[in-house]
Amino acid sequence: MTALALVAGAALEALEASPHSERGTSLRSLRRAAAARVKEHGLPTVAEEHWKYTSLSRLSQAALRSATATDGSAVSATDLAALALATASRLRVVLVNGYLRADLSTLENLPTGVRVQSIATLAEQDPERLTSLLEADVAAGTTFQALNTALLGDGALIEIDNDVVLREPLHLVMLGAGTELLRGPRVLVRAGRNSELRLIEEYLSLDAAGGLTNSVCEVKLDAGATVFHHRLANESAHSSHIGRVAVTVADQGNYVSDSLAFGGELTRVDIDIILSGRGARCRLNGLFVADGTQHIDHHTRVEHRVGDTHSAELYRGILDGRSRGVFNGKVLVARDAQQITAQQTSNNLLLSRLAEIDTKPELEIYADDVSCSHGATVGELDAAALFYLRSRGVSPQNARALLTYAFAQKIVDEIPLPGVRRWIETRFLGHTDYSQLLTALDTP
Amino acid sequence: MLEIKNLHVDVGGTEILRGLNLTIRPGETHAIMGPNGSGKSTLSHVLAGRDGYTVTAGSVTFNGKSLLDLAPEERAGEGVFLAFQYPIEIPGVNNVYMLKAALNGIRSYRGEKELSAVEFLKLVKARVKAIGLDDSLLNRPVNSGFSGGEKKRNEIFQMSVLEPRLAILDETDSGLDIDALKTVSEGVNALRDGTRSFMVITHYQRLLDYIVPDFVHVLAKGRIIKSGPKDLALELEARGYDWLLEEAAA
Repeated sequence: MTALALVAGAALEALEASPHSERGTSLRSLRRAAAARVKEHGLPTVAEEHWKYTSLSRLSQAALRSATATDGSAVSATDLAALALATASRLRVVLVNGYLRADLSTLENLPTGVRVQSIATLAEQDPERLTSLLEADVAAGTTFQALNTALLGDGALIEIDNDVVLREPLHLVMLGAGTELLRGPRVLVRAGRNSELRLIEEYLSLDAAGGLTNSVCEVKLDAGATVFHHRLANESAHSSHIGRVAVTVADQGNYVSDSLAFGGELTRVDIDIILSGRGARCRLNGLFVADGTQHIDHHTRVEHRVGDTHSAELYRGILDGRSRGVFNGKVLVARDAQQITAQQTSNNLLLSRLAEIDTKPELEIYADDVSCSHGATVGELDAAALFYLRSRGVSPQNARALLTYAFAQKIVDEIPLPGVRRWIETRFLGHTDYSQLLTALDTP
Repeated sequence: MLEIKNLHVDVGGTEILRGLNLTIRPGETHAIMGPNGSGKSTLSHVLAGRDGYTVTAGSVTFNGKSLLDLAPEERAGEGVFLAFQYPIEIPGVNNVYMLKAALNGIRSYRGEKELSAVEFLKLVKARVKAIGLDDSLLNRPVNSGFSGGEKKRNEIFQMSVLEPRLAILDETDSGLDIDALKTVSEGVNALRDGTRSFMVITHYQRLLDYIVPDFVHVLAKGRIIKSGPKDLALELEARGYDWLLEEAAA
């Protein structure tokens, strides 16, 4: 049995052993069913189509223990301040090892109509509500999602009321601390009718924290709601990351996501979108950057459940060293979901001969009046551009960094968060002279 | 300044330059003319250090150093600048940032202090005015979406910021209308200071009305078959190259 299944088994036993109460029975049986599912199915193997290019063998041998609230209790505001956060947002929600830390968060700054609540608190106070929030998705979820549910410790429920527009980004800081831990943050987002929310979900590690993060973020957009979701996976080299984002978009809703993955030994992100109402649309952008022996896998799935729904997708991968990248983009058009549009592009840059990318579009279309397109490219840095820069006096290292950054720019340009852009600039160029110069240029 | 001796260059197994000799002294402007396929662009690429050109014999000395032993960025550091016939588009890289990286690369090669963003912008804004370039080009990606004329103007603008000791203009006039030709030529002439040298590669005498050369050379079949004063260009314009080729063959 794999280490993860062992963890799930132990959690199940703990669940059984804990004192029973009338309240919470349904939540308990939900979690029990989830644990049983993990034990029964085990972890996916490369024999499964959607795990063909990503082997979990590295994970399953690692000794892991399910993180508790006390594992990260020593993390202080000073630790947090020392981290180079992507943006210093006024609205901050901090989860350490998946547990909401109100003392490190700035919940008091939340405006009327926006609520953030600990899932652990909700489980105590209103387990029936939590059960109903979790139920629908658990039925459709993956093994890793079931594992997350079985081990559910804490997380955040974010609700924004009808017609409320929150222009300031809400920054979810998902911090890992300690080693050999299995972290299972759960985030539930409910965006009311015609509301607007900008969410930053940033995963990072304190020092050289290790282990596995198995996160699940479910987002539901009511009619006419807009959610911008910026997801950054940037954990330490000793960490692995399995992340799932499950989104449902009702009619006229608009979901815009960019998923950036840089850190970690093994990263797998699944983004599942269901466009369930007419006029619903989504745009998915992604950027993954891997080096050394890193492995980064993005699987996206967009289901056009009804007609007049629209999706556009652009993913870019930059792979160096012996790293490996995977992009699988599935588009599913339901029977008679007419007049939909779906575009998908995957561009990849290989900086080393030993790096590898597996990119695959998957179209499943059961309607006839649709407009679907997809395209994938794999290439190296443009030799003519490199020569041009060098002939001007730019060193080969700087020229390569600049061209690599330029390749990432297309995704970066779409992100209206200066902090994120500066962070990416530093990652590629080692400084922020670029944006400084552009700012200076704009100043008369 | 530049001394090319018996230069033989092979491209993909074909000998393109076959014993080329040329000397350019400080402050001189030399025009290189010649029929298509004579090796003009090969000469400019070899001098700038582009891959894919094999020097099988000969030498190129620039201010006492063997140019052929230097990497492209080192040649730029020594003061060689090539204005490309087809400037490369680099989407995503800002024009001004590229120039700052270039200028600071050159300065650091020479052991000079790198310029700050503020110092650099001051310099750039002064040059952009001098060259008559549209300000908006600064804030755009390198040559990306530029018209043919804008690209050529941008090359001259880069040259004016980098202040090379030797500038090689590879068919900078091709694809330019008469107004753009004037602007580009004025940009070049503004940089002629008596010490800076120019190698102007062109098909047409027209450019030499604006950038008046000290010498005109005819390159054919990989070597210089005729050299003369600026009036030679007029003669070529009137008579073509055939008489020279026949003369050389005789």
